[in-house]
Amino acid sequence: MDSKPTPKPRSKRALDLLGGGDEPDPRFTLANERTFLAWIRTALALMAGGIAVEAFTADVFLPELRKTLAIALLVLGMLISASACLRWLNVERAMRQRSPLPLPLLVPLLSIGGALVTAVLIAFVALRQA
Amino acid sequence: MASPHNDVGLQPERTLLAWRRTLLSMLAVSSLFLRWVPYHGAFAFGLIGVALLAVAAIWLGQWRRYRISAQGINDNRTPAAMGEVLTLSLTCAALGALGLYVVLRF
Repeated sequence: MDSKPTPKPRSKRALDLLGGGDEPDPRFTLANERTFLAWIRTALALMAGGIAVEAFTADVFLPELRKTLAIALLVLGMLISASACLRWLNVERAMRQRSPLPLPLLVPLLSIGGALVTAVLIAFVALRQA
Repeated sequence: MASPHNDVGLQPERTLLAWRRTLLSMLAVSSLFLRWVPYHGAFAFGLIGVALLAVAAIWLGQWRRYRISAQGINDNRTPAAMGEVLTLSLTCAALGALGLYVVLRF
């Protein structure tokens, strides 16, 4: 705190995106950032799964199953990384306006998406056994 | 050595480490594309190159970012990491999109 440069003014575009309001507690800003990063890691894990299914399971899964699972996981990962970014921005905006935080649409997205992928896998395995 | 900020919750450090973990995960994901090198050669290397560039840019930016966060704790206001967040999301979505392209195309 000895040297205290005046806080740099934000760029115009950043201010437009953040939509005015007051600066929130810096610890909230950092917490929002870490939550965003946790979602990105979730998305990366799903995408890693998609790529791994496509690249490494040629001997295990039928080609259709392989493709379906890979596409589903990659799409889910992309959706989650896009929504994580939007959610980070919306939370940041809400904190600046001192308004309630938006509900996380990401949570049902991840649960339903994960359940669907698992259901497809189970269905394929069950049909193959029959 | 004196800490550059007085936050007992160590928020700047935790945020820095969260970025590091995320970037390491991204490196792990992009290295999976190495599996495609024998089939899609240049394309796979391109994918890895894009991911490496983004990771390197954000990683190097974290030194500065940490100082900004620590100063932000002292000033009681910190700028949102707009550039880093957008870069990371876009890279992540691009990796997914290009992976999807490979799966659908071949």
